[in-house]
Amino acid sequence: MKKAILFSLMTLSLFAREFFGKVPLVEKATVVHNSGSLLNSPELLHNILHYQTWGELFVYLQVHWFRILFFGITLGVLVVFFLHYIIIGPKKFSKDGKSFYVYSVFKRIVHWVAALAFVIIIPTGFMMIFGKEFGGGELVLTARYLHSIGTVIFIVAIIPMFLMWLIPMLPTFDDIKWLFIAGGYLTKKKVVVPAGEFNAGQKLWFWLAVLGGFVLIVSGAIMYFEDFDLTILRSLNMDQIDLLRVAAIVHNFLGMAVTALFITHLYMSLFAIKGSLGSMKDGYKHEDEVKYMHSSFYKKLIGRQAK
Amino acid sequence: MANTWGYGAMTNHLGDIQNAKAIIVFGANPAVNHPVGFKNFLKAKEQNNAQLIVVDPRYTKTAAKADMYAHIRPGTDIPFMYGMLHIIFKNGWEDKGFIKNRVYGMDDVIKEAKKWTPEKVANVTGVSTEMLYQITRAYATRKPGTLIWAMGLTQHSIGSSNTRMAPILQLALGNMGVAGGGCNILRGHDNVQGATDMCCLSHSLPGYYGLSDGSWKYFAKQWGVDYNWLKGRFKAKKWMNAKGFTLSRWYEGVIKEDPIHSSSPIKAVWIQGNGITTISRTASVQKALDKIDLIVVAEPFANEAAIITNKKDGVYILPTATQFENEGMVTATNRSSQWRSKVVDPMYESKTDQDIMFTFAKKFGFYNEFVAGMKLRANKAKGTLEKVKDTFKWPEDGVDEIARAIKTIGLTGWTAKRLKKHQENWQMFDEVTLAGMGPMRGEYYGLPWPCWTTKHSGSPILYDVNLTVHQGGMGFRNRFGLVHDGVSQLAGDGATIKGASVEGGYPELHKDNIEKVLNITLTPAQKEAMGKNWKVDISDEIAELALKAGVAPYGNAKARANVWTFPDKIPMHREPLHTPRYDLIKEYPTYKDQKDKYRVDTRYASVQKTDYSKEFPLNLVTGRVNTHSGAGIIERSSKYLNKHNPEMYCSINPNLALEHGIKDGAMMWIHAPGGPKVKVRARYSYSVSDDRIFLPIHWAGIMQGVNLSENYPEGTKPYSIGESANTVTNYGYDIVTQIPETKAGLCRVEKA
Amino acid sequence: MARMKFYCDEKRCIECEGCTVACEEANQLPVGISRRKVVTVNEGMEGKEFSVSVACMHCTDAPCEQVCPVECFYIRADGIVLHNKEICIGCGYCLYACPFGAPQFPKDGAFGTRGVMDKCTMCAGGPEPTFSDKERELYGANRIAEGRVPMCAAICSTNALVVGDAEEVADIYRKRVFSVGKGVIGVPYGWSTAYKG
Repeated sequence: MKKAILFSLMTLSLFAREFFGKVPLVEKATVVHNSGSLLNSPELLHNILHYQTWGELFVYLQVHWFRILFFGITLGVLVVFFLHYIIIGPKKFSKDGKSFYVYSVFKRIVHWVAALAFVIIIPTGFMMIFGKEFGGGELVLTARYLHSIGTVIFIVAIIPMFLMWLIPMLPTFDDIKWLFIAGGYLTKKKVVVPAGEFNAGQKLWFWLAVLGGFVLIVSGAIMYFEDFDLTILRSLNMDQIDLLRVAAIVHNFLGMAVTALFITHLYMSLFAIKGSLGSMKDGYKHEDEVKYMHSSFYKKLIGRQAK
Repeated sequence: MANTWGYGAMTNHLGDIQNAKAIIVFGANPAVNHPVGFKNFLKAKEQNNAQLIVVDPRYTKTAAKADMYAHIRPGTDIPFMYGMLHIIFKNGWEDKGFIKNRVYGMDDVIKEAKKWTPEKVANVTGVSTEMLYQITRAYATRKPGTLIWAMGLTQHSIGSSNTRMAPILQLALGNMGVAGGGCNILRGHDNVQGATDMCCLSHSLPGYYGLSDGSWKYFAKQWGVDYNWLKGRFKAKKWMNAKGFTLSRWYEGVIKEDPIHSSSPIKAVWIQGNGITTISRTASVQKALDKIDLIVVAEPFANEAAIITNKKDGVYILPTATQFENEGMVTATNRSSQWRSKVVDPMYESKTDQDIMFTFAKKFGFYNEFVAGMKLRANKAKGTLEKVKDTFKWPEDGVDEIARAIKTIGLTGWTAKRLKKHQENWQMFDEVTLAGMGPMRGEYYGLPWPCWTTKHSGSPILYDVNLTVHQGGMGFRNRFGLVHDGVSQLAGDGATIKGASVEGGYPELHKDNIEKVLNITLTPAQKEAMGKNWKVDISDEIAELALKAGVAPYGNAKARANVWTFPDKIPMHREPLHTPRYDLIKEYPTYKDQKDKYRVDTRYASVQKTDYSKEFPLNLVTGRVNTHSGAGIIERSSKYLNKHNPEMYCSINPNLALEHGIKDGAMMWIHAPGGPKVKVRARYSYSVSDDRIFLPIHWAGIMQGVNLSENYPEGTKPYSIGESANTVTNYGYDIVTQIPETKAGLCRVEKA
Repeated sequence: MARMKFYCDEKRCIECEGCTVACEEANQLPVGISRRKVVTVNEGMEGKEFSVSVACMHCTDAPCEQVCPVECFYIRADGIVLHNKEICIGCGYCLYACPFGAPQFPKDGAFGTRGVMDKCTMCAGGPEPTFSDKERELYGANRIAEGRVPMCAAICSTNALVVGDAEEVADIYRKRVFSVGKGVIGVPYGWSTAYKG
């Protein structure tokens, strides 16, 4: 019925005209679907009642701890390495002698793809955490988008990286010994460090980057996509929004750890061991370096050559 | 209603519901369909501790706010109310004085009510005896109590009995003619009451004047045309006095599935202001539209009539303006009128309704006759109509013509000037009583009819003898003669209208009896000017004299519980044509097949002969959702309204759904007796029990699984299209009014 | 000091969706955004069903404002919590911090991702100049500046949703509670000048 329109509709249309001038009679015909977000469902009320569980924790951590921890850890790690560089200084190894071809082209590409991802993700993450200092708006928004793009790059790298280094990265007895002498970094002397192809520090970084990275991807994706229909949540007495909160908390803490080790990794490769970057460029490690820093690996390599 | 006490309209008004101490709702869902009016229900609950009782086949949003809820089987309202009356009479809760003075034929009701023991009622309706007793006690012992109904009560094959039963319940309790009481029928849409008052129907001239020669002659005068010219417009004189086709069955005039009795089959259909899919049996409507020669649709949106047909030629869609682009008056559910101002001029190439009709009249050569009435004025002293000008001003002159002509329901006071004044000063009226304050003192908002003269206050509450006529008081209308079966039909002495010079009941006023009844003497000039009776009195002298004497012109009679002109003298329960309780057919059979009801033969017993309940075990309930109205074309074209109900669905109890392997959100088929079927999305809901399903009526554009998107003219397709619920509503029509039985049908469901 | 608050009376809310549609229309929101939503629980359960309309509650100690990494939120002197869409980076932290699920994220960012946050402004616009086109485009209507009630509460059919200064809202509700069972009060009708002739 033409003359049979809800009274409210009439009032609404009045306002529409009042505010927005001409209203097109018919817009392009498309079926509009209900946004259907679970966040708008009856869960919403449940959610208000259960705010204390995760909501308050998230607010507490975000308001009081996340920024300060990020700042503290980053600064702390930088200061420690700066002092290390001043007091103990970098390790220098002879470039003479034999070189071992340790990193194939494939491995190097994978490494550098991952490296690129980290170089994008970590600073952009930083920009978001300290968004206020960067002034927010377009700049930080772009950083947020880059953070997501970096993640895509990281996803490309993480699976081959995991597979290609899975075996050498498995923990060995050497690792405990390595940890006891802190990898020989606390002394200026050239000591023989017990380690295989990768030392315990590198392994720690690997596992954090791969497993932690995986968790970071998942928690990031949860926050990125926002809406899921996970029946499992209900069995955990969790709402959709709680999942997001947990994801944010986990993402932040893991982010801190990854940032710390990423800086460590940078320091090691760029400053602590002179020339170690070379091996990731051309795939060759010099004998001197391998002999001291990866003694077990050296023995193996020599043994293989002898055959 | 009209046959019970004179007028078939809401007796009180929405604000007055606040005065109620008990509210019983039969087959209405005001929380969804009248959300603004529902505030009054909630306020009554809050401020009066009113008990809100809902009797409905499903747990509606109204039921969610109710104190008591009776889960009733569709189509069994009469047994339920007889059950209530049984308990009321047994406990002596009825208002004996009221019945004695103001009701005729209650004895027959008492006799029938005796048969309806609570156990029997429980068996038929499905409501437990305890619940029936609790509801009856709550409702009968709190006064005033108001009774609400809407389509859930009327759209049945026994709809006209249902609508007499509810007044009988109110009469027994003496709840009529009091603030906070009454029978309040909620009109579904804006200006439905106005459309009814203007009798945009096939059985009467405007103002319920009927189709007799006297009425035609009166209107010929009022319209300023020659009676013979009017007669000449018909094929033969007999069609002038014969009822036409009804909206619910017009398509039979084309497809003739049931035999028709008309001068000719229907050749053309003009649709202006009607959602074609809101009447039952859309599949038959589709057939008729395919077969008919010409379809004209004059609507702001592409009406589904033009869409569901596969006709390639002879379909015209005229863009019509909305109410915001038009001016005039509209009548609310409570008989109040409101002026409506124009907000913007008609947009694009659309034209207003009246312009389309004027153009049409010009084209067909009767424009001058069409508008003649608006150029007339009544000369009250002479009792004649005179042409006073050559042009007319729309809409004022149209409104004044209505006020001048329609006296049966007392529209005399509804001049354009007064209605505008009310609209402009609406802050000066009280929400609860409608009474005006300040400059508007002495008038009720919107001058609820009957508004007997141009100075009358309007009557917010019908049949209240405790108010003077000047303040809107009156008795029941004297419409059905003076005596029946030797019993006087006039009200008893206990029902004297306050301030009236006439004691007790009195007959409706004629030129011949006015001197005797009012005990006055007319001057020769008065006699000369006065019309034959109060309904056709152009001089308004009868109304003026009646008001002077403190009485209403239409008499003061008894309401009748016994309507001797109807097939059932007192309301009797008859099972729906398609009933899930086939075992009750023997005891409560439907009517015999009827010949020539509104020009169409209507089947009753021959439909009920077949037992559909085995193959189609589920009850089908249809209704509205809050974001949509009517056929929904307006709302489905609205981005935001559509967002909240983006798709046609079926509310189905999980118990039932899982038995048929239907998952929440999955598609399902609904089959109806006779073959029609719809494919809709299942929506789990506990608001329906597992023996029935609910379908909203607002979708169209898909017919029995076939997408008709192609039929929309470019740019007119709404955001959502869907199956029309009325495709699966069953055959069945009321015996008096031909209203379709959409609220009690059968169906079966199937996984799609 | 006035503090603007919403209150929804669940005894009166009938899930008519008037508030949500009014909000969407007044602020011309994209279809995916629900600044206000009506939530019904226990639908169809006899005696247990109720509905309530939820939007930003404009908290005094708004957690969204506290957790925002770019500090795009600001709380007006009258307590309305607003944010600057030009500073917002759409990180979603406000949503995690909000007990009421108020912050909304349109999918209109780069690559169809989450854009900047949108939420109920209590029809008070935003930081852009009042009544400017930019304000309307970014934040919607500014009815508060026009001296009018937010659209949702203005349209509420049963007056379930009330908005205004916290004390006034409390007052309205208090009166509602006190009026229980006291009977309806219609305006006394003076007939002294009523119908004559």
